[in-house]
Amino acid sequence: MSATTILAQRFPRLRRSALNGVDGWNRVGNQMAFYVQTLAEVRVAFARYKEEILRLIAGMSLGVGALAVIGGTVVIVGFLTLSTGAIIAVQGYNQLSGIGVEALTGFLAAYVNVRITAPATAGIALAATIGAGATAQLGAMRISEEIDALEVMGIRSIAYLASTRLMSGVIVVIPLYCIAILMTFVSARLSTTAIYGQSTGVYDHYFNTFLSPTDILWSFFTAIVLAIVIMLVHTYYGYTAAGGPAGVGEAVGRAVRASLIVGAFAVLTVALAVYGQSGNFNLSG
Amino acid sequence: MTSLSSAVKPVRSVGDFFAMSLDTFVIMFKPPFAWREFLLQTWFVARVSIVPTLMLTIPFTVLIVFTLNILLIEFGAADFSGSGAATAAVTQVGPVVTVLVIAGAGATAMCADLGSRTIREELDALRVLGINPVQALVVPRVLAATVVATVLVSLVSVVGLAGSFFFSVFAQHVTPGAFAGGLTLLCGLSDVILGLVKGALFGMSAALIACYKGMSVGGGAQGVGNAVNETVVYSFMALFVINIVATAVFFEGPK
Repeated sequence: MSATTILAQRFPRLRRSALNGVDGWNRVGNQMAFYVQTLAEVRVAFARYKEEILRLIAGMSLGVGALAVIGGTVVIVGFLTLSTGAIIAVQGYNQLSGIGVEALTGFLAAYVNVRITAPATAGIALAATIGAGATAQLGAMRISEEIDALEVMGIRSIAYLASTRLMSGVIVVIPLYCIAILMTFVSARLSTTAIYGQSTGVYDHYFNTFLSPTDILWSFFTAIVLAIVIMLVHTYYGYTAAGGPAGVGEAVGRAVRASLIVGAFAVLTVALAVYGQSGNFNLSG
Repeated sequence: MTSLSSAVKPVRSVGDFFAMSLDTFVIMFKPPFAWREFLLQTWFVARVSIVPTLMLTIPFTVLIVFTLNILLIEFGAADFSGSGAATAAVTQVGPVVTVLVIAGAGATAMCADLGSRTIREELDALRVLGINPVQALVVPRVLAATVVATVLVSLVSVVGLAGSFFFSVFAQHVTPGAFAGGLTLLCGLSDVILGLVKGALFGMSAALIACYKGMSVGGGAQGVGNAVNETVVYSFMALFVINIVATAVFFEGPK
């Protein structure tokens, strides 16, 4: 009996937690390897699986199953950003009127929507719709051994399943984000002017004065980064799902949790990197 | 005929959902109450939610405080950074992060659990044994999510305030005393109560959606995956609507 066996039998709890630690560490490594391989095989996906990318783009923009009935990803993203735009208006108008400067609601809409709410909300909506859908599909494929079948047939499964989904996610996010950011603007303007009765001239003046095109470009950049990160996380959890039908459900849950956290950190990192210490904001022109 | 039934299907599931919710509220007050399941579920939801809550609260509050402070420093009003942080953390970040965590972590786990029980026909077995699955499984889950969501709101607010304090004071050089002094300027007891009420509403509706989706699962692995996906989407949508309605009602109502 070797010394390690004796130690393992003597301290079972210590051994179990050590093994758990090693497992977690290995999982991080596997995850990184999967991400690197997915990114590296994007080239292969574009060269060989163009039709698959097109098919996925169609599926992602309209959604599958019951989600397509209520209008698909486009409607869900539009709806979520519509409601956050309205929140900015409701909260902003009321807080600002508390100190007598409710005229600045238009400024708040141009500033906070572009920098925080639109990218964050779009990220959340992407994770919930496209991302969770991809995990569910890939997880079901893994459980029914379709991914193993692909590999037996000599198809590069990561390129065919993960890289294509990554690329179509990035392509789909561009029009989706246009809708998202327009929705926040429209709903903030409508709720301020139509519901709270601010004159449209005042609102538009402050909104147009403080709406900066550079900010909007950076906001687009944030959305694309979010799409990449979210698709990577979700394809990983789907690709490695295990444990029968319940396992697929758990994988979707874990993927949503992980991608929300990673997405929040991504938005924060981009914001800190772009706006940094100077703030890139000029009140007096 | 098939087109008619597929067109009616979403309407029918809305009806089913309301029927189940009504059942839940009626049975909630009828003994026997499933205490053991309630405690287990509370512990379960809390366990899956706490780490994501902390990991989401910190970046979101830092992001908001950072953006607000740029603005306030430009105005020359950096001393009010505390007021902005408190308003943001208590009235918006608290409830919204709770939503994301409860829907993204708690409800998905709940739906996956119930969904796998449904396709293993455990719920049918319960019915055969004369046990109402709504009473045994749904009521304790809904109550557990409500309790945990309410508690999470306070956790998020405290962590958010602490995070924004450290970020404002150490990274953006706001005076600590002014930050602490400004906390209660715009944000009072009523805002805290609003946050807690929102949290309770969110937890309840997310759990109801998760239980409904979990109990109406069909079609194997892909079915469970889709049910969890739909749970996330529907609960996010419901929760954003509740958030805006609750905020608007709060501001319109007597203060």
